[in-house]
Amino acid sequence: MRLKSNSYTNGRLWGWNPPLKSSYDAVIIGGGLHGLATAYFLARQQKMSNVAVIEKRYIGFGGSGRNTAIVRANQRTQENIPLYKEALDMWPVLTRELDFNLMFYNCGNLNLAHSEAALKAMRLQVASAQFQGVQSHLLDPKGCKKLIPALDISDRPRYPIYGGMYHPPGGIVRHDAVVWGLAKGAAKLGIHIHQGTEVTGIGVRNKKIVSVQTDKGKIYTPRVLNAAGGYSAALSYEMLGIKLPISVLTIQAMVTQPLKPLLHHVVSSGAYHCYANQTLKGEIATGSHMDPWPNYTNQSTARYIKHQAEAMTELLPCLRGVKFMRIWGGLADMTPDMAPVIDGNNIITGYYMDCGWGYFGFKSCLVTGKYMAKFMADGICPGILKPFALRRFEQHRLMGETAAVVNYSPDN
Amino acid sequence: MKRIHKLPTFRIHPEQSLTVNFGKKQCRGVEGDTIATALYANDVRIFGRSLKYHRPRGLYSLDGECSNTLVAVDGVPNVRAENTPAVNGMTVNAQNVFGATPEFDMMRFMDELSWIMPAGFYYQTLHKPARIWPLAIKHIRKAAGLGVLEPDFRMKGKFDEVHISTDVCVIGGGPAGMCAALSAAQQGLRVVLLENRPWLGGAFEYRPSEYRNGLALYQRAKDLSKDVENTTNIRTFKNTAMIGSYNNGLVTAFQRGSKSEVFTERYMEIRAKSTVVATGCIERPLLFENNERPGVMQIGCAHRLARTWGLLPGKKAVFSIGHDLGIEAAIDLADLGLNIVAVADIRKDSYDSNLAEELEKRNIPFLSGWVATRAHGAKTVKAATISTINATRHRKFTCDTVVASAGMTPVTGPFTVAGGKLRYDKHTGFFLPYNMPPRMHIAGRILGLDDPLSIETSGRVAGLKAVSECGIPVKNLLRETQENLAKLTGPSRGTKLVSGPIKGKEAFICFDEDCTLKNIDQAMHKGFDVPELIKRFTSAGTGPGQGGIPGHNLPLYIAETGESPDRNPRPTTVRPPLVPTYLATYAGTNHDMSKRTPLHETQKAAGGRMERIGVWNRARRFSSDKNAENEIDNVRRNVGLLDASTLGKFRIFGPDALKALQRVYVGDMSKVRGDKVKYSAMCNEDGCLIDDGIVVKIGENDYYMTASTGRAGQTIEWIRYHTRYDGWKYHMVNLTDAYGVINMAGPDARKVLEKVTDADVSNQAFPFAGYREFSIQDVPVRAMRLGFVGELSYELHVPSSYMQSVWDLLENTGKAFGIQKFGLEAQNTLRMEKGHVIIGSESEQRTTLHDLGLGFLWYRNKPEAKTVGAFALKDTEHQKGRLKLVGFKMRDPKSRVPRDGSPIVDTRIRGYVCTARYSTAQKQPVGMALVDDYLSPVGTLIKIYEDGCRGNLMLAKIEPMPFYDPEGKRMRS
Repeated sequence: MRLKSNSYTNGRLWGWNPPLKSSYDAVIIGGGLHGLATAYFLARQQKMSNVAVIEKRYIGFGGSGRNTAIVRANQRTQENIPLYKEALDMWPVLTRELDFNLMFYNCGNLNLAHSEAALKAMRLQVASAQFQGVQSHLLDPKGCKKLIPALDISDRPRYPIYGGMYHPPGGIVRHDAVVWGLAKGAAKLGIHIHQGTEVTGIGVRNKKIVSVQTDKGKIYTPRVLNAAGGYSAALSYEMLGIKLPISVLTIQAMVTQPLKPLLHHVVSSGAYHCYANQTLKGEIATGSHMDPWPNYTNQSTARYIKHQAEAMTELLPCLRGVKFMRIWGGLADMTPDMAPVIDGNNIITGYYMDCGWGYFGFKSCLVTGKYMAKFMADGICPGILKPFALRRFEQHRLMGETAAVVNYSPDN
Repeated sequence: MKRIHKLPTFRIHPEQSLTVNFGKKQCRGVEGDTIATALYANDVRIFGRSLKYHRPRGLYSLDGECSNTLVAVDGVPNVRAENTPAVNGMTVNAQNVFGATPEFDMMRFMDELSWIMPAGFYYQTLHKPARIWPLAIKHIRKAAGLGVLEPDFRMKGKFDEVHISTDVCVIGGGPAGMCAALSAAQQGLRVVLLENRPWLGGAFEYRPSEYRNGLALYQRAKDLSKDVENTTNIRTFKNTAMIGSYNNGLVTAFQRGSKSEVFTERYMEIRAKSTVVATGCIERPLLFENNERPGVMQIGCAHRLARTWGLLPGKKAVFSIGHDLGIEAAIDLADLGLNIVAVADIRKDSYDSNLAEELEKRNIPFLSGWVATRAHGAKTVKAATISTINATRHRKFTCDTVVASAGMTPVTGPFTVAGGKLRYDKHTGFFLPYNMPPRMHIAGRILGLDDPLSIETSGRVAGLKAVSECGIPVKNLLRETQENLAKLTGPSRGTKLVSGPIKGKEAFICFDEDCTLKNIDQAMHKGFDVPELIKRFTSAGTGPGQGGIPGHNLPLYIAETGESPDRNPRPTTVRPPLVPTYLATYAGTNHDMSKRTPLHETQKAAGGRMERIGVWNRARRFSSDKNAENEIDNVRRNVGLLDASTLGKFRIFGPDALKALQRVYVGDMSKVRGDKVKYSAMCNEDGCLIDDGIVVKIGENDYYMTASTGRAGQTIEWIRYHTRYDGWKYHMVNLTDAYGVINMAGPDARKVLEKVTDADVSNQAFPFAGYREFSIQDVPVRAMRLGFVGELSYELHVPSSYMQSVWDLLENTGKAFGIQKFGLEAQNTLRMEKGHVIIGSESEQRTTLHDLGLGFLWYRNKPEAKTVGAFALKDTEHQKGRLKLVGFKMRDPKSRVPRDGSPIVDTRIRGYVCTARYSTAQKQPVGMALVDDYLSPVGTLIKIYEDGCRGNLMLAKIEPMPFYDPEGKRMRS
């Protein structure tokens, strides 16, 4: 079994260590979901396969493998809904196209309201979804309990359940499968994936991208995509001097020991700051809120796992009898309005950005990759991505994805 | 099964018997048994079935590395049988069994099908054709998971939490840990010692081998334990699992309560100045075909079964080991009556030849350079094959037990979770730290030490290092002890063999996930080349035991194959909790930290429907009428009382207080007076409204201000943050809880107030927007005339302790005028009719002051200090394409009230209804909405899309606000 192949051969999902060429038509920084998806669609739809994906660690190291893999299309604003709606439709399509089971589990998402104000906010979300052809409806507490029998709908919890918003088309996907499937698809179409390779500089001449410097050598290229997730803002500033309104915060998630099926839907609660779903393996995966202070580490905190246990056992009291077995952290690149920065080819010709996704990066990866590839091939931003331009922050036109004022930390 | 009669190392009381029900089988055990030993004593060998292939699984180790012994106990799933005490009458059930007993599992055919399920099987199949996947999911979900939890299950027991501060925290109560604890305690420091087992002693505790001068190790352990427990400044917590360590010396753990304890489990947070990790080693599993067949167990498991619980692991055993502890255990177990047919040692040299001689004396063949390659037997072990490592010779022995392990592996989790970094050490074969987290030290077997004196001395060294970090000078003593350690036997040479010459089709590198060596090979063929990716692709190390079984072997094996670009073996990340922990334990007592106003009980007793709003409990209404019409009506006609104590209240004073106010408020705060309130707003950097309230001057450079309820918590931080570089001299006091607030509103409000105070409260003496301080029957109150609900109203700020008295007085006095309480629902409608906004209700994150029509509050010519948000207010003043706040009425006045939150649409969504209610004043529904600015002119027709309306839109028309008393005569009256 001593295989020493440098290309995509017999059974390998993607070739490792392809030679680093001295020039590519495009260089993608970040071997996470967004980078790999863009690479895949560049090759498949834009017929641009002379492309390198540069990954400092290994593919899927960052947020791509640290999220809780929930997908849904019941966002708040009309700029977001069409994007996520298309994203939701892409999982079965890509499963077929990549010939790799992304394990889309269409279990539906239930979001709980714990006050009149929350119900009102949900009504806007539900009606906005319905108006744009996305299935979503409100439920009373009994309706919620019917979906999740373990819910405590009495008035005993500190935040009793007032109702819920059910979104049948949502569910969960196996995040690692998406990483590997995309890597497989991209490599098969000729994309070079360079793992263990670090970008150390980006060459610009006359406000045009000319090269990317890595620790393995220099690459000449007219196009660079910054898809470095939690590290994207630092990269943008340190290498190009472009400041992005992004705070990097650790977000934690955890799983319990595996159980036989108990939760048949994704369930989430804003008041308790938590969501939970049962993975196909039977673990209850739960997470939600970011640490309140900026941080570039993936370390977990004692406070958070305790908070999560308190919250989860109020909502689902039976879970007191289950054990947490693993907690992990990932980086969320948060913008002030919790919507991403998708922009490019303006400040510096050939420099593209796909960052600031915070904790929406997973559900959006395929659709963003598709349109980002078009953007990079044409140099013109497709309409669906236009609302996410950086300019909105200068103009104080935040997106309405979050209703409440977001205040990550005093030095945000 | 007969127990060994009596040993000095016993932890059981054979005279006290008990019964445990395992399914339908009654198992007799004795006091001191764990569930596992009670079952084992009754010849239970199969404890459950494995996750994927439903292979029989049994007792393998006693340290909780795998899910083999997870059972359901009295409805609680996934209980670890080997460290849960047996309790008389408890009901234990095997898990993941389809059938009556784990002996006969109807899903056992899965094991025969394992060949069609290579690594990553799910990813590469079951999606073609697409329609089979949803069906497959159903079956996968049912087959996956281990324990069953009923939705209405309720965990019994008491769960506490304790927070402990100490100088030194020692993790691990073995000899090294005890010596560390004693060294630190002898210097007068406070020590906390955590031990997972119910007793101290670690690897000495059960062993009869010689410590020194004829003293047995177990006796040495007893002596040390006695010293530790007699030392008053060592607090020993047994039955305590350490689960996490974090920066700033935080260690988390949980303790299982013994019978005499008042808690079932308690969560612990320990803050230590310095921490010693002396967690020792567990065994590194040896891989061979069927290496997890019931009957195969690790050295410590076999040895402790006999020494602690009096149970011989079987009748006839083959040993395949890679560490001297294996030979030692074989000798002792043979002396206790176990028939050992062979001891295979994977080491060709470097074993203790004295021990080998002892084996020979007992006529036990010692086969150096041999290793187990297969266990035979369908359900339990019937025979074993051992082979030479170069596969030239093979021998098969009939036996019922295989004692197997490849070597030792240190328990490094306690410091790697705090950021300690590991590197492969060639001599010991361990992953050892090259970078310890600050203020953490390691000692004992974790370093590869096996000599008892070295273990103890290394404990003393670590203890003294911790002492010096606590500020006690022990330089000389530390140096002396380090020199002593250097003279003693150093770390033993370890092994790195993972398996003998086998194909690996049934050699399990991870038991929990049924992952074989062959699966690892398959993953590597697919191009997965680093341990973290292989772990994710094969799931190895992601089960209930986490990395316990594969943690050391996986990186060794991957490095050995030479497939990885990284030739240095690198372990996968270990994460908290290091021992799986009940959510009940983490949640502890789960205090509800909500706040109550001084009038909470009064409101509740009066039928107030209390709701949790942010941190507060507040009364929404006082009747079953959701619209609170009576309360509204009474405020409009007579007079009402609202408990508004949750309002944020602050004092800001000092020579630069005004500058600070100018910085954060959009208005000109230099105009603030002592007899008049100034209403103003705070914006964030985007010009969006974040808070509003009033400010009055209560003295020279001394101001009193209010903040909205939801914002009160951030107010001080916000002001400090925005003045952090200025060095201004001012102080702030949060008076939110010191003062309660009563809002008395309605046309008769003055009549009530006149009767309770001597102050002149006539409209001339105390006009609208006035501020006065006076007494209500000797209680000093701060009174202001505001008009949030649109009527004549007095907002009375009363010291919290007097709130009840003042409220009662007003209520009694007001009876003649029909005074009634009103709640938040009534207030909401009243203020909406008046066109007053509530932040978060009529505004969202992106709503600027201009969008709300409150631009007039912004004073653009402040003499000094930039106002937060001023730039944005300028930028957005005439900006097009924003959502603006408008009032609306239904086109048909008889229409029902549209629901809050409903979007306003044409071909796109153009805004939404913020608040809409039936207006008694207007005798029709009215509402406020945020709409695209081009829809905002009065008279524009808007269409409301309610959820579930299926395209049947409600029509409304933009109307001027306020809907009630537009001239404001009533609130000024």
